This record gives sequence, C-alpha cells and structure tokens, in this order.
Amino acid sequence: MNDLNNKLNDILSRVNGIKITHKRNRRVRVDVPADSLTTLLELIKGQASYVHLSAITCVDWIKDNEFELVYHVWSYEENCLISAHTRIDRDEAKFVSVYDLYKPADFFERDIYEMYGVFFIGSPRMEKFILTEWHGMPPMRKDFDSEAYVQETFNWTEYNPDWLQELTDQGGGIAIKPEDIRLSGCLHNMATHRQRDKLKATQKVGKGWKS
Amino acid sequence: MKKELLIKEKQAKRTNPLAHVFDDFIDFCQSKSLFMLHYCTGCGAIELPPAMTSRFDMERLGIQPMVTPRQADILLVTGYVSVKTLKRVILTYEQMQAPKYVIGICSCTVNGGMYWQSYATAKKLNDYMPVDVYIAGCMPRPEAVLEGLQRLKENIKNDRKQQKGSAWKEYFANYDTYLGNQQHLFGDDWQTPVDIIAEAKLYGLEGEGTYGKNTEKLAKVQQPLLPQEMKL
Repeated sequence: MNDLNNKLNDILSRVNGIKITHKRNRRVRVDVPADSLTTLLELIKGQASYVHLSAITCVDWIKDNEFELVYHVWSYEENCLISAHTRIDRDEAKFVSVYDLYKPADFFERDIYEMYGVFFIGSPRMEKFILTEWHGMPPMRKDFDSEAYVQETFNWTEYNPDWLQELTDQGGGIAIKPEDIRLSGCLHNMATHRQRDKLKATQKVGKGWKS
Repeated sequence: MKKELLIKEKQAKRTNPLAHVFDDFIDFCQSKSLFMLHYCTGCGAIELPPAMTSRFDMERLGIQPMVTPRQADILLVTGYVSVKTLKRVILTYEQMQAPKYVIGICSCTVNGGMYWQSYATAKKLNDYMPVDVYIAGCMPRPEAVLEGLQRLKENIKNDRKQQKGSAWKEYFANYDTYLGNQQHLFGDDWQTPVDIIAEAKLYGLEGEGTYGKNTEKLAKVQQPLLPQEMKL
C-alpha cells in the first residue's frame, strides 16, 4: 500500500500548488487551485488509472464568497478514491468543463448549473435538466430562502375541523399545531417542544392520548 | 345553447317523487362499481398493494385498479406532488370522464407534509383540483385507506341528498379559481389539451366562477386543438 501511495504522491506532486491529505488507506483528499484542476485530472487519468468520475459536488461557501467544487475520481485498479477540491469565485461562477476528459461530467455539470448556477465552459448541454418548471434563482444556493418562497407561493390547509375539536375536548388532538412550527422559522424549534412538555406535565392527560 | 337549455328544463321539471328512485338507483350502482387510477409518485403507494390484494381486499368494495384515465372513476394521488408532476396530474384529471373523484392520500397532499419547506412540491392539492376525500397520515394504514374509500362510496350514494360526492362539478363551476392557481405555478401561458369551458357548457355545469380574469388570460394564449395528422 505504501508503494502505491508513494507512486501516487509522485504523480500528484507534479501539480502546482497542490495539498495532499491521506484521509485513510484508500481515500485521498487533494486541494488544488482552480487553474491546475484539469492538469491534475489529466495526470491521474492518464498515468494512474483513475478513469471513473463518480461525482462532481458543489458546496456553497457564502461567507467566503466562493463555490467549492469536488471531483470524486475512482481507480478500479488501485481501489482508491481521490477527491479533488477546488474553489472558484462565487460572483463569477464560471469554471471549465471536464467533459472531454470524463464523459459523465455532462450530467453532473448540468445538474450543478441548474442547482447552483455555476456555468461550465465547454460543457455540451448547459440547459435545464430536472427543474424544467423553475424560473427563479438556483435553489441550492445558500441565499435562496426556500421557506420564504414557499410562504409566498403556496396556501396552507387550516387544521381546525369540527371532528378535531371533539377529540381535543376529550383530551387528544394535535400536540403541536403545524402553524406554530411553520411560522417559528425553525423546524426543530425547541421552544414548542418545551411548551408541549409543560402542557403534558400540567394538564391531565385524557384516555385517548398516549404519551 | 339549445342542448344546455334542454338539460336545465329537464332538471327543473322533475316533480314526480318516483323520478328520484331511478336517480338513487343509479347513484347506488355507481358507488358499487368504481375503477381507480392511482398516481403513485409518493411513498403512500406502498400501502396500496396490501389494500388491493387479498389481505384487505379492496375489490369487495367494488373498487378495482384501472390502467387508463379515460375509463377511471377515481384518481388516487398518493403522497407528495411536485410542481412538475402536478402538471401531469392535472392533465390526467382532465382526461377522466365525469363523474370523477379525487382522493388525496397522506399528509403531503393535505399540506405538503414533511416537504412543507420545499420549493419543489405543491402544498395543497385542492387548490389545483377538487378533492373529494383526504386520507391523512404518514402513511395511512390500509385500514384507513379502506375507510376513506368507504366514505367516498357513501358520499356518492348520498350525492343528490347531501351534495357531498360532487366535487368534480366544482371544477367546472369554479374553473377560474383553479385555473388561476395553476397559472400562478406554471406561468400565464399554461393550457391543457382539454377545453374545460366547452365541457362545462356541454354538461350544463357553468357557474359564475367559470369565467373570470384567468380564463380571459387563457383565451389570449390558447391555441386551438388540431387533429393529428395521420401518417403511415
């Protein structure tokens, strides 16, 4: 294993500005500047049998004003995964496509373009992929507020039918109303949970309610 | 116009108490034989096989699965409906022949369920099409599904007395509202191959809500349907 690692290190260290971290035996994390990423991929594909691009991931680092692109490349011969991390400018959001090296990059890049708005120069189909009905900003960006969008766009069913009132009179019913959670702005709102616990402690619990 | 008037006159003239016997009989028969089209995009679909097969046996209620919307009576929407699939659900619904009934299964069709925060799923199914029965739960057990279907059957049976099992008439009577909600999601150029207004005229089910701002908008963008070219 060490031989392999040494060999890989030799190849990787030819790339400018590279930082190599061996996470585990068969997991290597590599941080490269954006302009040497294609060099890296070409090297490990051509000289170290990393022929399978299993995914391209995008991470939105909104505070750093950067997108992080992660290329996961797998070698069937060494059974080893290299994750090549690189960071690009968030405002410009443009990067070069690796379609000519890895054909599956087509789909991953299209997906990232749709979800994050990163444009890949040279990618064959930079168009809508799954969200054909979507016209707003790319929804996976951190500054897209999904909850606000939902509140604006959709109506809600009210949860106070008559038959529920009967159950509530008997001591059952809904413990936390959906409106309470929804409008608090946080799904795991501890305040409402605490409220519920208090209610349970103070009120007599009816037969229909199993706590 | 003449046809429409005729239908209305016929309905108005029914004073003989025995006339309703046949209506009741028809309702009874209708409630005993329902074909169900299930639109299974959500996880609620997993509760349907036990409800259909020998364990709970939906067929003893006279409900059978059907493969095409044109011959189905019930549209069963199981689970969440994303905006993209909602388009298809509406197309499917409009292709069904009246009388038609919609059942929304799982909390997702009621209020978005666990996807309430998601930009991609529609929240309230009855904003976009009239829903007869909701079966809440995440997911409802087959017992609950059968209970809901029983309720639908009762509603159909008592339709003329209680006006409960006729949500499909609302779609014609309040088409403007439904269309407005659909346009809100899909854009102003949204149109379906089915001409709902013409159908409403044909059935004599026009109401005040059939026409409005949104139908005017539709009339502007609507392209006439042309017969498909036959080619060998």
